[in-house]
Amino acid sequence: MTADLVSVRGVHRRFGSGPASVHALRDVSFDVAAGTMVALVGRSGSGKTTLLNVVGGLDRPDEGTVVVDGTEVTALDDDGLSDLRRSRVAYVFQTFGLIPVMTAAENVGVPLRLARVPTVERERRVELLLDLVGLADHAAQRPDELSGGQQQRVAVARALAASPRLLIADEPTGQLDAETGLSVMALLRGVVESEGVTVLVSTHDPVMMELADRVLRMHDGQVSC
Amino acid sequence: MIRPALHRPSVRGRARADAGPLLLVAAVVAVVTLLAGAAPPLLRATADDAVRDAARTAGRDGDVLAHARWEYDDAPDGGRIRAPRLAEDVDDFRERATEALDPGLRAVLRPPVAVVTSPTLKVTEGTAPRTFRLAYLVDGRGPHSQTRVTWVAGSPPAPSVPPERESLTVPYGGPPWPVQIGLSEVDAAELGVRPGDRIPLVDEFRRAKDVQVSGVFRAEDSGDPTWRLAPWLLRPVAGADGVGTTRLGGLLSPGSLPDARLAFDQDELDRAVRFSPEPGALDSGTAEAVTGTLVTLKATSGASSVQDTSLKWETQLDLVLREVQTRVNAASAQASVLLAAVLTGAVLVLLLAADLLARRRTQPLAAARQRGTGLPDLAAELLVESAAVALVAAGVGLALARLVAPGVSWWWAVPVALAAAAAGPGFGTLHAARATRDRRAPANRAARRWLAQTRQLRGAAVEVAVLVAAAAALVALHQRGILPAPAGGAAGPWSTSDGEAALPSSAPALGAVAGALALLRLLPAGTRAALRWALRSRRPLAAFGAARAAATASHALPPLAMVAAAALAAFALTLGATADRGLADGAWRTVGADARLDANPAAGVDMRALAGRVAASPGVRQAVAAQVVDGARVTTESALVTPRLVVVDAAAFRRLLATTPLPDAPDLARLGPAGPGGVPALVRSGDGSLRPGMRLRLPRDGDAEAVPLTAVGTAPAVGGTGDVVVVDAAALTAAGVPVVPNTVWVTGPGTARAVAAGTDGVDTVLRAGVLHERRGAPLTAGLLRLAWTSAAVLLALGLLGLALGAAEGAPERWQTLSRLRTLGLRLREARWVAAGELLPPVAVAAIGGPLLGVLLAYLTAGPLALRVVVGAEGDPPVAVPWWGIAPLAAAFLAAVAVVVPVEAAVRRRRRLGEVLRAGAG
Ligand SMILES: Nc1ncnc2c1ncn2[C@@H]1O[C@H](COP(=O)(O)OP(=O)(O)OP(=O)(O)O)[C@@H](O)[C@H]1O
Ligand SMILES: [Mg+2]
Repeated sequence: MTADLVSVRGVHRRFGSGPASVHALRDVSFDVAAGTMVALVGRSGSGKTTLLNVVGGLDRPDEGTVVVDGTEVTALDDDGLSDLRRSRVAYVFQTFGLIPVMTAAENVGVPLRLARVPTVERERRVELLLDLVGLADHAAQRPDELSGGQQQRVAVARALAASPRLLIADEPTGQLDAETGLSVMALLRGVVESEGVTVLVSTHDPVMMELADRVLRMHDGQVSC
Repeated sequence: MIRPALHRPSVRGRARADAGPLLLVAAVVAVVTLLAGAAPPLLRATADDAVRDAARTAGRDGDVLAHARWEYDDAPDGGRIRAPRLAEDVDDFRERATEALDPGLRAVLRPPVAVVTSPTLKVTEGTAPRTFRLAYLVDGRGPHSQTRVTWVAGSPPAPSVPPERESLTVPYGGPPWPVQIGLSEVDAAELGVRPGDRIPLVDEFRRAKDVQVSGVFRAEDSGDPTWRLAPWLLRPVAGADGVGTTRLGGLLSPGSLPDARLAFDQDELDRAVRFSPEPGALDSGTAEAVTGTLVTLKATSGASSVQDTSLKWETQLDLVLREVQTRVNAASAQASVLLAAVLTGAVLVLLLAADLLARRRTQPLAAARQRGTGLPDLAAELLVESAAVALVAAGVGLALARLVAPGVSWWWAVPVALAAAAAGPGFGTLHAARATRDRRAPANRAARRWLAQTRQLRGAAVEVAVLVAAAAALVALHQRGILPAPAGGAAGPWSTSDGEAALPSSAPALGAVAGALALLRLLPAGTRAALRWALRSRRPLAAFGAARAAATASHALPPLAMVAAAALAAFALTLGATADRGLADGAWRTVGADARLDANPAAGVDMRALAGRVAASPGVRQAVAAQVVDGARVTTESALVTPRLVVVDAAAFRRLLATTPLPDAPDLARLGPAGPGGVPALVRSGDGSLRPGMRLRLPRDGDAEAVPLTAVGTAPAVGGTGDVVVVDAAALTAAGVPVVPNTVWVTGPGTARAVAAGTDGVDTVLRAGVLHERRGAPLTAGLLRLAWTSAAVLLALGLLGLALGAAEGAPERWQTLSRLRTLGLRLREARWVAAGELLPPVAVAAIGGPLLGVLLAYLTAGPLALRVVVGAEGDPPVAVPWWGIAPLAAAFLAAVAVVVPVEAAVRRRRRLGEVLRAGAG
């Protein structure tokens, strides 16, 4: 596949105003080809999270455009962004972001519920996804009854539930030990292969970078290849 | 002992960071201490008013009366000696009676009036039965005939013997001794006599009396209370001596008093000294002492059989005061119940606020712990803060209370201030201790289950304790009632703040907490069921809302505060509404219609014609004329009773009753023309002295034979709760008794307008006016105001509980919602989910709370003795104020509609990207 799934052009993001303001993203432009796994690396505070938020529509840039899967994200209103997240962009967070009051299976089912997928189909897909991430036996457990790695795998399964085109993962292995982190990374890599999802992932870990098709380096709010 | 080290900067810093919640706590403490501090003294002031009111309106029941026989005036060798200084003798008697009074009692009585009255005589001329009495009145300003009447014709009564013979001896058995009297203009006209004329009078043994009119007078002030003792001196009084009779009176002067003595037998002339209470000198404190003195006075007063001139005391004032004292006690007890309810609501909300504050501070407190601050030090720091807040706020509340009330009650402010001071450090150290303990739930399922079970057991133990306390309080309330034990006599208000009364008066409050706990026991099960349903349904929002609700359902404090406050607010509303309904019913019973027109007997208004005219006015449904005679003498086979006799067209009366909420009296249909047993009558009596089936006789004046009556059924209550006999007007007329209606009852929406113009000689009593007056009576008004205020404060506390509960859950709720937002949930949908989470406990509070409150009102209405305050014989039926309960429920539901958008707006500025940054979220 050669078409670009993500296209970022001239994006600026500043926080605050006046002398105390932080210029977190400075004229960032890059493209991500569909069906690839791109790693975003850079020192802490270089702007990785800010960039991922802007790409996924969780944050708005001050300047510039972001196009995801042919939709200009930066032009969408609040509901449009919600629809985008519902169907085409999914997140995996460093802090997992699971719903504490729901079981693993219910968590995975959330995007399907939002998409109003019929119950039977939803249950089948949840089973499939939990199987995919190797948690078929833990379907009925709540997040606080799962280990960190298990939680992150539930988060990956949930991110994949609605079959998004783009999966954004912000330091998904940040809170995991090296081995567990690697298994989650490998899971993401596998997903790219099997589901054809495009993955944009930020990380500090050099080992992870090797799994990526391409590495984008961030420095002081700017991206270099 | 190690003194805990206070780190002042941390105390100050924390207080500054959480100024909002601390101010809120302060506001709650201030408002509740204001109410709790002001209500008792306000009620005490109204109790004083009530005592004065009772003394003022008691009429002759409030008077203290001393009787004494005259010294015999027999001459040693037969005959009776005329005593020319008899008026001075009466003055001495007045002095003697005054002196005999306990100074404390004298201080609350007005200067006395001495009154000398003759037995009732009959006027032998004229068709209508008329009676006559002679009277001599004297108060501190001198005899009446000299100082306070104007002689419009003739002259004041003079001695019937010249001065040189003033002390003559009159032989026994001589002709009637002549005596001069003065007549009022109205009485003179009624008798058709002029100065110099003699009034044809006989006594009960038909012995003629020689009574000559010396002059005709006009009272300078007919409103002077002295005349109250002998109103017939001023104008004819109907019914005083039986049905259809009119009593008139002749005024004696100091000069003619000795002649009056000779005109009657030795003991026939009654002399009495009458003291009326001075309402202004009474208050609820002195009332108790006065009651005691009166009881002693009556008990030690000489037996009536003793033939001497000692004073014999007679009064109902002690009963009047005891009755009002009972009302005061009941009102204070009811006020305690309401205040206990408000305090309970306030304490729950304060606990909730402290919990919220502690949760907000978990992190800084845990950090302080990690820096090495010990738990006791932490607790001390928090105690300094909360005690300062509580004391300052309570001080402000009490100061405000002092501004609006004549005093301040500390007693009730203490629990609020204590709760506010203790809850902060309590929850704070608890949360800090928990935060620094290893919080990870044990991985082992069995261990986790064991932990959960101990927690549940602890909770259940608390609930059982509350339940037992509530049950004990309810039982105590039912067994001993809310009023102080009668053995304790007339206790002063608020003197029962001892533990004995505390349990019963907190019964509704404890009941509300116990009931709320029971309701909340069902909440988790309910939300779990809802969650199961929602998860199966295809509505995503329902599923998310229910999931959150199920997660928070076990957190009991916020819904507990809400449900208990809603229940107690509904309870206060129901209590007020029930009392109000009792007043309204009472006004119906007293007036008997929308308006009652009472004829002034002297005016000679044709009430039947008046009824006809009123009935023709627009908006009048019924106007029925009747003759109502109070204290009519009716004899049964064995006794003389004095019921209220009502002579009325039975069919019209029944139609009238049908247009009122008063109970129907189907037996009225049985009234009609006289049968073989006599004229049919309906009877009603409190003590069973009049029963259906009895044969009665209605004695008539003069030679006419008594009218036989047969009690054929039960009479409706007419104008109160006393004994009643109802007879059909046509039947009584047919039996030869003239019927002269003196009352007209009017019903219908146009009543007020129809009777507004008024008629000369007719007093109009409007039901609305009576009701207005009773609602405004000091104790009643005070209690109603307290009930409405308590309901409002409790509603506010309930809503505050809702807001605090929402604030407590908000961080977790919006964290979940943000996570759902990253999955594509729209903001609008997020609000619905938030509402869905908040709704279950709020719905329980909005619906279950008021129902619980009404149930508590049903359970406690009887023992709370509302009847005493309302002045009804029986307990007024519980009135459920739907007009107040529906808005109460709506307020809770509407509050959710306010809280959710506010929460969303507060978080709107925080972008999703920030919410989910590492560590946040
Ligand atoms: N809400 C905000 N207000 C002010 N400055 C912000 C805000 N969010 C981010 N920044 C600043 O923007 C810059 C980029 O932050 P960002 O979180 O994107 O870095 P990062 O590369 O993700 O770091 P890390 O690897 O530690 O996660 C930082 O200097 C940060 O301080
Ligand atoms: Mg980051």
